[in-house]
Amino acid sequence: MAGPIINDTTTKTKEKKITIDPITRLEGHGKIEIFLNDQGNVENAYLQVPELRGFERFCIGRHVMELPVLTNRLCGVCPAAHHIASTKALDAVFDAKPTETAKKLRELFYMGQYTHSHIAHFYALAAADFVLGPSAPSNKRNVLGVVDAVGVPIGAEVIKHRSYGQKVQEIIGGRATHPVFGLPGGVSKQISEEERVQMEEMAKSCVEFGKFTIKLFHDVVLANKDYLNLILNQDAYYLNSYYMGMVDKDNKSNFYDGDIRVVDQTGKEVLKFKPSQYLDVIAEHVEPWTYMKMPYLKKVGWKGFVTGPDSGIYRVGPLGRINVCTGYTTPLAQKEYEVLAKTMKDLGVKGPVNHTLAFHWARVIELQYAAERMLQLVSDKSITSDDIRGPFGQPKEGVGICEAPRGTLIHHYASDKDGLCTKINMIVATTNNYAAINTSVIQAAKALIKNGEVSPGLLNKVEMAFRCYDPCNSCGTHALNGGPALEVTVKRRDGSVLTKQTNF
Amino acid sequence: MKTLVLGVGNPILSDDGVGIHVARALRDKHLPNVAVEELPASGLELLDVVLDYDKVVIVDAIKTNEGVPGEYYVLEEKDFERSVHGASPHGINIATALALGRRVVPGRMPKEVVFIAVEADDLVNVSEKLTDRVRSALPEIVERVLREIS
Repeated sequence: MAGPIINDTTTKTKEKKITIDPITRLEGHGKIEIFLNDQGNVENAYLQVPELRGFERFCIGRHVMELPVLTNRLCGVCPAAHHIASTKALDAVFDAKPTETAKKLRELFYMGQYTHSHIAHFYALAAADFVLGPSAPSNKRNVLGVVDAVGVPIGAEVIKHRSYGQKVQEIIGGRATHPVFGLPGGVSKQISEEERVQMEEMAKSCVEFGKFTIKLFHDVVLANKDYLNLILNQDAYYLNSYYMGMVDKDNKSNFYDGDIRVVDQTGKEVLKFKPSQYLDVIAEHVEPWTYMKMPYLKKVGWKGFVTGPDSGIYRVGPLGRINVCTGYTTPLAQKEYEVLAKTMKDLGVKGPVNHTLAFHWARVIELQYAAERMLQLVSDKSITSDDIRGPFGQPKEGVGICEAPRGTLIHHYASDKDGLCTKINMIVATTNNYAAINTSVIQAAKALIKNGEVSPGLLNKVEMAFRCYDPCNSCGTHALNGGPALEVTVKRRDGSVLTKQTNF
Repeated sequence: MKTLVLGVGNPILSDDGVGIHVARALRDKHLPNVAVEELPASGLELLDVVLDYDKVVIVDAIKTNEGVPGEYYVLEEKDFERSVHGASPHGINIATALALGRRVVPGRMPKEVVFIAVEADDLVNVSEKLTDRVRSALPEIVERVLREIS
């Protein structure tokens, strides 16, 4: 195969507004708008996300036991994360302590979700930028182009292991996509020894696939000097933000349960809190041009789209988690974590990894961890025990938090004495990252677009600054008519369209 | 011949759930030799569901510029060729998923995929109900799917 295409030819634009529009359907899609000044340099950029109206009102008055099934309908991308956060919120609402078996089954299920989600993002969405190059023709820069480049057998392995992740969720959760098994204090169904053995075989294969993926990341991305330079580009892809993520009692990364840890730009712990304390830590900023709120650290404050110690913007997700933890509890993920730490140290990086494109490296380490943890849990024969439901009390108020693949996910419910929902608040992963994503987009646009010179590849590099967060706009993102497109519209100051470029 | 009717959509997002409503109506008919599934997601999840069938009828919502809510279009895979690309931040579409399947596991892919795309009115408000015009069209859409699989 020919090498990846890193750069393409730019053309000069006289327009003041550039729109990058990844259409998912004609209504309700996110888009980036970039505004240029008279010199053709970037004045500002905005990431707008679609509106989804009335979810809170929809939930109020329903029985709280319905919420794990309703809230997971918010999203066709990570319903399992909503199901887990919601089930944990119900544990708190009903003052219920899940049994050990129930905890193991929930976490095993959740490792299936991570395996599926991280494989899908890395291979189907991110890999094209690295295997084919950010400036490859847009009709080739997709998962089909990746399969053409790496070969059909590898494509088949991708589909197989992503499907294993789904199968594990289906066996435990009742359904692969919108699960129905979480209950306060436990789960609704035990698993059989036959199912355990079936999942164990899949988990073993996923561990091997995790190893393969890490090797591929090294061979394709890290061994390519141009990509390494892209990752290390501090002008375009670098934010010295705060970081947030869940850790266990030893500060090792944990996706299912633990305290939430926040570190500063030097890696120092500045906060550690229980789910029930989240409102003491997080406040939300509102901007007039978007529907989504922007959470920030209350004690630091909102200072606009800037980072540093005085700005309360924090990052969650793979990069957030890898920066707040001190490592992993499984050997292969820990080994790769140490490789990342040493590589960064050798490059002169002190403290957390602030390099935005390192999200991808963190994600493949997490894929390895999820597969190893899946194997650990499913190899424990006691997981087939029938002790799957603990006692629970009267409903009141409670918070549940887990780490969604895209970052910290918070569900907060209040109930009346009959179990009817009186209040609901959710902060989803992409919302936690929203201010940071917008800041990353501004930074990349300012660094990459100079003197009105633009090209499809250059605009894709701007898009890479937010794609690595794996953003999800928390609504039905499926699309029949639209699909993932990149549309660049150049407008005059009066709003009329002068030129348009699309990749379809 | 193994046939699948697949309703795609979000059942609590107004007309986005029309495919799910159609699937449920068909399931109630207990048709012999026809599987009926609901898929509240898309992209690669679609592949898990359609493999090893001979024919798949996908019912989903669509929103076009001049469309009349409740009307439907019968489409084939080739109608989506122009939208087979993958630069999205958060997912690949149905057409890309099918194209990927045909490239990687061709022997397990359905020989025929038909789309019944129903023009939606509301894809923004959270509700379990379809809007009036889409709801009124349900019997006709169900009939059309039955013709497709008969």
